[in-house]
Amino acid sequence: MIETATLADEPLLSPALLAQLERMELVSRKIFRGRMKGERRSKRKGQSVEFADFRNYVPGDDLRFIDWNLYARLDKLLLKLFLEEEDLHFYSLIDVSESMRFGTPTKLHYAKQLAASLGYIGLCRSDRVKIEALDGAAASGAPVFRGKRSLGRMVDYVQSIDTSANVPLADAVKAFCLRNRGKGILVLISDLMDKTGYDAALKFLVAQNMDVYVIHVLSQEEIDPEILGDLKLVDCEDHDTAEISVSQRLIDRYRATLAAYIEQTRDFCQRRGIVYTMTSTERSVDRLVSRYLRHQGLVR
Amino acid sequence: MNWFDSALAGPQWLLLGLVPVAIFLLYFLKLRRTPVEVPSTFLWTKALEDLHVNSLWQRLRRNLLMFLQLLLALLLLISCLRPGCQGTQLQGTRFVFLVDQSASMSATDTTSGQSRLDFAKDEAIKTIDRMKKGDSAMVIAFSDVSRTIQSYTTNGSLLKNKIRSIRQTQRSSDIIEALNAASGLANPGRTSDRASGRDVQVAESKPATMFIFSDGAVKEVPEFFLGNLTPEYRPIGSFEPPNNVGIIALSVSDPIENDSQLQCYARLFNSDDQDHSVKVTLNVEGDIFDAQSVDVPRNGAVGLVFDLNSLLSGLDQPRRIHLVIEDDDVYMQDNEAWSVINPPRESNVLIISAGNEYLDLVTETSRITEVANVFREDVGFVGSEKYEEQTTLGFYDLVIFDGCAPDKMPLCNTVFWGSAPPGEDWKVAKVTEPTSIIDTNASHPLMLASQMTNVNVLKSSVIEGPKGSVSLVDASDGSIMRLGTRGGFQDLVIGFAMQTITEDDEVAINTDWMTKLSFPIFIQNTMMILGNGKNYQASVGGQPGELLKFRTSLPFDTVNVIGPEGRKTKLLPRPDKTFVLNDTSRSGLYAIQAPVQDSVDIVLPVNLFDRNESNVVVRDKMTLGYKELAGEIASEPTRQQYWMWFLLLALVILVLEWYIFNKRILL
Repeated sequence: MIETATLADEPLLSPALLAQLERMELVSRKIFRGRMKGERRSKRKGQSVEFADFRNYVPGDDLRFIDWNLYARLDKLLLKLFLEEEDLHFYSLIDVSESMRFGTPTKLHYAKQLAASLGYIGLCRSDRVKIEALDGAAASGAPVFRGKRSLGRMVDYVQSIDTSANVPLADAVKAFCLRNRGKGILVLISDLMDKTGYDAALKFLVAQNMDVYVIHVLSQEEIDPEILGDLKLVDCEDHDTAEISVSQRLIDRYRATLAAYIEQTRDFCQRRGIVYTMTSTERSVDRLVSRYLRHQGLVR
Repeated sequence: MNWFDSALAGPQWLLLGLVPVAIFLLYFLKLRRTPVEVPSTFLWTKALEDLHVNSLWQRLRRNLLMFLQLLLALLLLISCLRPGCQGTQLQGTRFVFLVDQSASMSATDTTSGQSRLDFAKDEAIKTIDRMKKGDSAMVIAFSDVSRTIQSYTTNGSLLKNKIRSIRQTQRSSDIIEALNAASGLANPGRTSDRASGRDVQVAESKPATMFIFSDGAVKEVPEFFLGNLTPEYRPIGSFEPPNNVGIIALSVSDPIENDSQLQCYARLFNSDDQDHSVKVTLNVEGDIFDAQSVDVPRNGAVGLVFDLNSLLSGLDQPRRIHLVIEDDDVYMQDNEAWSVINPPRESNVLIISAGNEYLDLVTETSRITEVANVFREDVGFVGSEKYEEQTTLGFYDLVIFDGCAPDKMPLCNTVFWGSAPPGEDWKVAKVTEPTSIIDTNASHPLMLASQMTNVNVLKSSVIEGPKGSVSLVDASDGSIMRLGTRGGFQDLVIGFAMQTITEDDEVAINTDWMTKLSFPIFIQNTMMILGNGKNYQASVGGQPGELLKFRTSLPFDTVNVIGPEGRKTKLLPRPDKTFVLNDTSRSGLYAIQAPVQDSVDIVLPVNLFDRNESNVVVRDKMTLGYKELAGEIASEPTRQQYWMWFLLLALVILVLEWYIFNKRILL
């Protein structure tokens, strides 16, 4: 049974959740060169205390890494390789369109909680954490957080994110990509309810050669609508209307359309190496992180 | 061309016209959907697949149900307008429809095989369909009488219903009464203004077109003035002479006058232009008595004789005679005829006289005693109790008052010979002499074969009778013998006595008539006609629709009449103990029986016997006044009605609407 998510007025990260998150770390499927040395053993071999392998000495190698003990025993110059510990760029993009205000708790609150959770995991591993609202602004006011000390600032910043003017997802992502050239892990948290489509946005992200995760957040009302009667549905973003007379057949057809949409998105992502996860706001964040995202390989 | 023929009145149209408006309003009231804000209509619209279609069609589709409902209402409205075409409108604003319902209209020689009357009704209805809105018309049905079935109205449905209600009769035709009714408003009467002595029009004349739907077998009406009536004759039937042989006469001879022979005479008429041979059967009391095969020449008549002598013995009841032409033809009513042989009846005649040997002598002859029982009483008998009783109860058929008169008239026929009847009706002038007879009414049955020119009369009185009395003998000063009617009785008053008593109490002869041959003949005629002398002749009968006046053998308080269809009706007598039968609409025999009687008292035959009706050839011309109308047998252009198609389409729309509604709900 799915545990009910925390309510909107609760703190984004509860102590229990923080304790759980502290034991996790973000995993990148790609080798990225961090700008600063972090607490992460990257797949790149480098200078650290953790031994990785030996290799033959070739001229030009740093003499400091020759294993003289082996030279004494084998009379061969072998070079000691260590796993390099480095920092990771972690980006969390939160869709702040009007449609994110829906659901109990709201999809936006859920997205903020998730972004904060993943951000905290990054902070604990001294990763470079950046959480951005997709408001299409050319200059981002989003600060970069690093180290556990930044938790308070990060939570405050995330708390301050609110819905803004409706900007097409593609435009907002494009603006982000232009600002952030760096590589790393990118988690896009959105309901993907953009009538212009999500394709362009995801293609921008893929082009950045980032390790992209899409977390598709839907409210329970969207997954299983409980409406009745002759209704005029008004789109909260573009105020478009759709007149419907609710019947079981219409509901069934809506569910089928939604399932097809999710399946289509998953397929789109899979083809482009994007990890796609669909979640409901009724699924708790810790459960999503500890079970689903761990299963997806984003955290361990 | 009149495309629409409204079935509704103004206010009804107004109500119906509000229906589309109401649908429109109600639809939009219904369409007020509850607005619900959703994160995105993206998936919903995708689910509905609505955004993929053209916006105009989209709007139309969104309101499809309303459009269908409006279309449905429109179709219903058009249906109520009863669209149609192929009819030409009638010219004019007022119409009169004269529909012939006489016997000959039952002929079935129309193209459709229905009767002429049914065909005429259909044609009249088609003509009504061609009337413009606001035109008024009246309907008159006529046979020998006319009946205004519907006075002027603009209501076409009412006119058509009234025309459908016209029933076939078995009567003859006489159009004049119907024409008079039709011209009532078209030619209003004029009256003379007494002050100025001029003719004044009493009302404004309203010209009208008169359609006569008839086979033309009507009596000519040369005196009729059409005035503002424009007649149109629509002959009904076939101009080809139809196959019809009919009985136009049937009678039974009197054996007393016919050498003791009882015979039945019939006359058949063939209106076809081909000779026909028909089989004729004579039934007596329902059993076949005789049959003959008769050749009837084209457009001619032939006589038939049936010998009925075998019926003479034991004839104590009226015998019903039924003559039938066994061969079917287009007009069946004249293929049957009825008559009756009544048993001979002896009459009772009372002569009240101070003594008249001439009268005694002539009434003692075998010829008279054969037909009547003659009683003789003295003058003093008048006023006696027995006289009162016998004359009140109808014991006597005839009382002859010779030189005397009672205080009041007896309830029987009377002859006053040289005396004045009581009451104010008759006026007998003073006796004058000499008298010269100048004329005799030889055509009257009483004076049949009575030659009076050689009769001399000395003294006589001029007689004035009641209204309707006829003079039988005229002298130089006026009528000296008159016959008048009194209820069901007849009174003969003769203004001269046979003999007078002189001042010396001697009998003096006043006339030499008694020595002439005409005297016994006159007495015999009197005994037969006024005394209802013994005879076999058929009872009084008549034509369908005629009033039949009859007298029963005894003065009954009530009698039952059993008609040709077996229907029994009760009849009460008039004060003079006679009965009048007015319901004689059908041909056949009407049996009269008193409740106290075991057997039928009288049987009255009713037959049309109209050569004009039996001649079922349709007349192509009809003469009304000085105008001769020519008619063509042509079916009226039928109005093609389309409203049922519109109604059917409306039904289809309704089914479609139901389907779409259900599909939307279950989507």
